[in-house]
Amino acid sequence: MRRIVLKIIAGGILIALPGAASLRAQEFKVGSKTVQVHGFGTQGFIHTDANNWLTMNTSNFGSGEFTDFGANASMQITTHFRAGAQFYDRNVGQLGQWHPQLDWAFADYKVKPWLGIRGGKVKTVLGLYNDTQDVDSAHTFALLPQSIYSIDMRDATLSHLGGDIYGTIKTRKIGKFSYTVYGGDRRDSIYGGYPYNLQIHGIHIQKYGGPVVGGDLRWQTPLAGLMVGASRLNETITGTGQLNPSVALGGPNVLVPYEEHSNKDYVNQFYGTYGKGNLRLDSEYRRYYRNQQIFSGAFNVVVDLRPWYLAGSYRINNWLEFGSYYSHFTISGTIDVPGQSFAASVSDPSRHLYDKAVTARFDLKNHWYAKVEGHFMDGYGGYYYPDGFYPQVNPQGVSPNTNALVVRTGFSF
Amino acid sequence: MKNSRYGILLLAAASIFAIHAKAQVIVIANPGVKATEISKSDLRDVFTGNATSLPGGANVVPILLKAGTVHEEFLQVYIGKSDSSYRAGWRSLVFSGQASMPKSLDGDAAVVEFVAHNAGAIGYIGKTTPHDGVKVLTVK
Repeated sequence: MRRIVLKIIAGGILIALPGAASLRAQEFKVGSKTVQVHGFGTQGFIHTDANNWLTMNTSNFGSGEFTDFGANASMQITTHFRAGAQFYDRNVGQLGQWHPQLDWAFADYKVKPWLGIRGGKVKTVLGLYNDTQDVDSAHTFALLPQSIYSIDMRDATLSHLGGDIYGTIKTRKIGKFSYTVYGGDRRDSIYGGYPYNLQIHGIHIQKYGGPVVGGDLRWQTPLAGLMVGASRLNETITGTGQLNPSVALGGPNVLVPYEEHSNKDYVNQFYGTYGKGNLRLDSEYRRYYRNQQIFSGAFNVVVDLRPWYLAGSYRINNWLEFGSYYSHFTISGTIDVPGQSFAASVSDPSRHLYDKAVTARFDLKNHWYAKVEGHFMDGYGGYYYPDGFYPQVNPQGVSPNTNALVVRTGFSF
Repeated sequence: MKNSRYGILLLAAASIFAIHAKAQVIVIANPGVKATEISKSDLRDVFTGNATSLPGGANVVPILLKAGTVHEEFLQVYIGKSDSSYRAGWRSLVFSGQASMPKSLDGDAAVVEFVAHNAGAIGYIGKTTPHDGVKVLTVK
């Protein structure tokens, strides 16, 4: 029933997209304080010439099961103290499935420009766009480079329940430094790409997450428009749920408790961005290393991802922007599951996914935009870590190359 | 050939003139703001949501114009972005919870009125707009 109601709400909003473009942020008073209300929504369509992508049936006519929306309310309580919350919901193929989430909800006290503290459910600062990856209206691309900001693994680094200490220190000669250090608990949606990936093995995750600590340091250099930075994230992740041993282990057709946990799990990310006038260039490199025990401790799997991308965009005028990126994903590791192994060479399509994308973004009105994007992908990256291609929606096997057309429109107010 | 060279020179001169002729924006603040001048870098930080105070410690709140040539010129000269890119930056902050959207007003007179009556408010208007009740900040 809840899914039907949410579908009706989302459908209503999105059918009325052009009308929604005239929506305006709302404000109301609580006592003497102003509460701001903002929202956004997007609707996408993807067609691929081969392989089904991002858990959708994209390869025939295409799929429009690509919807998300969110809304927030925030209040500046005093000069230094503000609080707010945002909910978010999505249905992208098999992901999200219209289960709304509390996206963020926190209180933020900024003591000085160089010292602030926020606590609650907080977006995790990691690289250039981790904390804003859902804010489609802010980005040139319909899909951010999927090697790092994959929409199926959105939950993995998105937020933490805990706190941040942050600030910015300006210097006279060498630019500006911004830092964030944080700690808390990561709680993934069970409707994300990783739990979906495990279902093919008869594993049904019911809870996934664990403690995280990390930090980010970014340097706004004296060269106008150039910013570089580095992030680090350490995690201890545990997943629990149920396992049907008959699916992957040849055991009885029953449900038994399932557990998996990380022995070592971290992310290092290095990034830079340069903007001058209407030109913007971004590049990021991430190393994600995960050593974990799966199948209730029976097997060890090490996954070592080293994705990077280079992106550029140029705004022609207030309504037209072009962009392009090259996104590079490779996977390495070891698996001690009998009969399972990584292909020997990274040149095998199961060990890489190289994606060239070109985009045109049209700002139709202040609050309404559309994007048309082409993807030319080499490889599919295998099934040992989610990267957009899943065996469940590709039961006939996967071709080594995929071309995709992505059309996405959205509004925000 | 000679004529086309003169044409190019004329066009270049006209462009330079146009750029200077466009520098008609002034930055105004509530009289309670102690500063009398502001660096271009600090101004950019305040209007892009990266700072909520000036170096002296005064808290400030940016006030925007909704549209128009003064708004476009302010963004071009002091922020270095188009209106679309500029508003995209604010959406990133608002939808990740890092800031509240600044107030956008319909015209210069409304900006003057608001800045004059709200502590810490800082805005921009056309140079020729009457601006009693506010102070003008020199941009260094």
